[in-house]
Amino acid sequence: MSRQSTFSQSRRAFLKRTGWSAAGLTVLTSCSGVLPVLPHQKPPEEEGGLSWVQMLPGGRVRFYCPRMEMGQGISTGLIQLVAEELNIAPDAIDCVTPSTGQVPPFKLTAGSESMELFYRPVSMAAASLREHLRGQAAIQLNADPSEIKEIPGGFQTKGGKSVSYADLVPTGSQIISLNDNTVTPEQLKVYEAQNGALSSIEQPAADPALLALVTGREVFSRDVSLPGMVHGGALFPPAPDATVLEVDGSKARAMPGVLAVVEDKSRGFAGVVADKPDQVRQALAAITVTWGHDPGDGGEHPAARLKQFWQSAEREFEHELLSNGQDTGQAAPLKARYQTPFQAHAAIEPRSGSAWVQKDKVEVWCGTQAPFFVQGRIAQLLGRSQDDVTVYPKRMGGAFGGRVPCQPAETAALLSEASGYPVKVQWSREDEFRHNYYQPPFFHEIEASADETGTIDQWHHDFASAPILFGLKEIPKIAHVVLDRLADKGTARGGLPPYGAKNQRIRYSDIRLPISTGAWRGLGTLPNNFAIESMVDELADKAQMDPLEFRLKNLAPDHGRLESVLKKAAEMARWGRRMPTSHGLGIAGGIYRGKTHVAAVAEVRLDADERHIAIEKVWVAQDCGLVINPDQVKQQITGNAIWGVGAALSEEMIFDEDRLETDNFDSYAILRQSEAPEVEIALINPQNENPTGSGEPAIGPIAPAITNAIFAASGKRLRKLPIDTDAVFDQT
Amino acid sequence: MMILNGELIEIPAGLGSIPLVEYLRDHLGLYGTKFGCGIGQCGACTIHVNDKAERSCQLTLEDVAGQRVTTIEGLSSDGALHPVQEAWIAERVPQCGYCQPGQIMTAAAFLSENANPDDSEIRDAMDGNLCRCGTYGRIRKAVKRAAAGDAQ
Repeated sequence: MSRQSTFSQSRRAFLKRTGWSAAGLTVLTSCSGVLPVLPHQKPPEEEGGLSWVQMLPGGRVRFYCPRMEMGQGISTGLIQLVAEELNIAPDAIDCVTPSTGQVPPFKLTAGSESMELFYRPVSMAAASLREHLRGQAAIQLNADPSEIKEIPGGFQTKGGKSVSYADLVPTGSQIISLNDNTVTPEQLKVYEAQNGALSSIEQPAADPALLALVTGREVFSRDVSLPGMVHGGALFPPAPDATVLEVDGSKARAMPGVLAVVEDKSRGFAGVVADKPDQVRQALAAITVTWGHDPGDGGEHPAARLKQFWQSAEREFEHELLSNGQDTGQAAPLKARYQTPFQAHAAIEPRSGSAWVQKDKVEVWCGTQAPFFVQGRIAQLLGRSQDDVTVYPKRMGGAFGGRVPCQPAETAALLSEASGYPVKVQWSREDEFRHNYYQPPFFHEIEASADETGTIDQWHHDFASAPILFGLKEIPKIAHVVLDRLADKGTARGGLPPYGAKNQRIRYSDIRLPISTGAWRGLGTLPNNFAIESMVDELADKAQMDPLEFRLKNLAPDHGRLESVLKKAAEMARWGRRMPTSHGLGIAGGIYRGKTHVAAVAEVRLDADERHIAIEKVWVAQDCGLVINPDQVKQQITGNAIWGVGAALSEEMIFDEDRLETDNFDSYAILRQSEAPEVEIALINPQNENPTGSGEPAIGPIAPAITNAIFAASGKRLRKLPIDTDAVFDQT
Repeated sequence: MMILNGELIEIPAGLGSIPLVEYLRDHLGLYGTKFGCGIGQCGACTIHVNDKAERSCQLTLEDVAGQRVTTIEGLSSDGALHPVQEAWIAERVPQCGYCQPGQIMTAAAFLSENANPDDSEIRDAMDGNLCRCGTYGRIRKAVKRAAAGDAQ
């Protein structure tokens, strides 16, 4: 009874803490009858993870990992916590990615918050199991539980009698799975580690899938194979709300291997089921569909209305992030505009989904960051109860925010429902670029000044982009009325500068675009950090101060952790050393979601003869609190550094009116091996700090560190990403 | 006919024009070879044809008739790992891991022709294999480690 009330209290506290989530949930209820609008947002309760950890007969542990693996290595870190609390080796744990039927719903995997939100609940679950087993051991050893100490894989009495987990749960006996018996935080080993005690937690355990990954045996979502499985595909409608007026599938029906041509006018859907993928492609090409849609939506560049807003003299910004101090009304001496482009996730695995719709159940296999969201969407789509639908999530070949819904799984469900076959739908690379959602372009204007002592006194920052949390075209139009009034916190992420100023004002607008915009690694972090850290560099130059010194002088109070990482990155790069001609060092820093502190230094070499910008090396210092697995954290930082370099040098989605031109890797240039710099990393790990995220923070400072380095090398200030090589090398 | 991972197999009639990557994955269930782009730009589908690295999305079944084809599943045998795979484990190269079979196949073919490459030769050889997670640095280290015969 008392537990019940504890649970609901913390749930209320959560809703109070996170305004936008609560708003999202309201939209959900006000639009009942339409597809679920937003994925599951509830963070785990500290005591809510008991069903995730089980002791199996024979002493092995099964861990239902409540996070989706997409290469961020979170399962490895969480396994380490389970191992630590239970005094066993990580390889004594079978880590299972649970289906939606195996565990209660959990929050979508996004926002680099998995370790921060889950380290305590997972540790708590494992420690509770340990204490339960201690009780069992006490009975078996005929001793008081308090007298029994932990040894690897079991317990021991003071007198030296020991019992192993295998003895406590002999083969053939029941799995021990808890629904009660929680421990206090002070009983957690991770608690001790966090408070400075020596621990084996901070160890570089390896991904349990490593062997399967290098031998090609790991099953990614695209590698799913089912007995009797056939293939399918659907035509993409010309507009999100297009209806099907007429379908001529007669030619397709007669083609070899074709099992069904599926047309569903009410759902605006036309597709094909065939034995093999090439037959699906040919049959789809042979179907003629007459679509009904609002022609007003087509033909314009997807950013046209955003540009129009930005260029308008009467533009008014809807949302104010910050307003501090007295506006002197005087024009600041520095005013500059910065810009970043549309960007794609470009994960190497194009998405795929498989579904088998049967009378009594619906099964779905796919890669998604939000399996319970996919479950809800498919249940709604098919008009079935959510309990009928089971989603089996598979490892994703990269996600980066781009795999919240799984569109081909929805197509597969409709095709399976109509045909009765288990159907697999695989997107092509072009589908992946054309039909997912994107990082929207950002337009910034910052007007700022520093006084004669080099202290920033004015910071006025306006920016405009598209909604990121609320920009998916999967969100039905009926919900736009509500959502368009809300300030999109994804767009604003990283918009607050870590520097103080007497007078600060930050405003923005999030303008819905005709194409889908959504979460991309770090959300607003990269575009916003680029603008802020560029302007700070410009102010330092104007004040004739060293860029590092200027930053340290202007950091707002209580930013000691950012100060530490800025100093550390500078120290690693030997900041201030004499640079060869055409070489430059640039620095930038940032704080991700108020939690992870990161700074980067980049060294560039400008080769005027080859008109080539070489990124010689990148140094990153990060403080993300207690580090559970330093190797995985370094992998994440490296990944962000590589993304940051790619964003600086080449990444951009280009549209010709409404037609996407960059729809494969020959035209959308992600960073290549030959361009990838060495990345040197330092982790700063202060005592008493909670673990915070690593998957996205370092994406912020890389690009501005590069453009600042180019300025140091050449005196050319680059305010637009990707960098225009001509602007660097042309004599002006 | 072709020799696939050491076994002689018949090429079914009527499939001569489909991409080899599709035949391997969707007909034979050899999912270790990954589909990435379909236009020979990313390297995820890299296999060996007569020990040379090739893009299986750019080959048809007709192209490999009479040839010896090796996929990641056939790179090592009898449970032993290829030295490149061992080096990949030692350096813990993968993040998501999806591009890695292709990276490993490219590296294995490269090292069989250049046993002692320098850094720029490694960068050139591996430049056609994209990795979105950014494991390029570890890939370079693993290729060096495999070349040095130092898998541990």
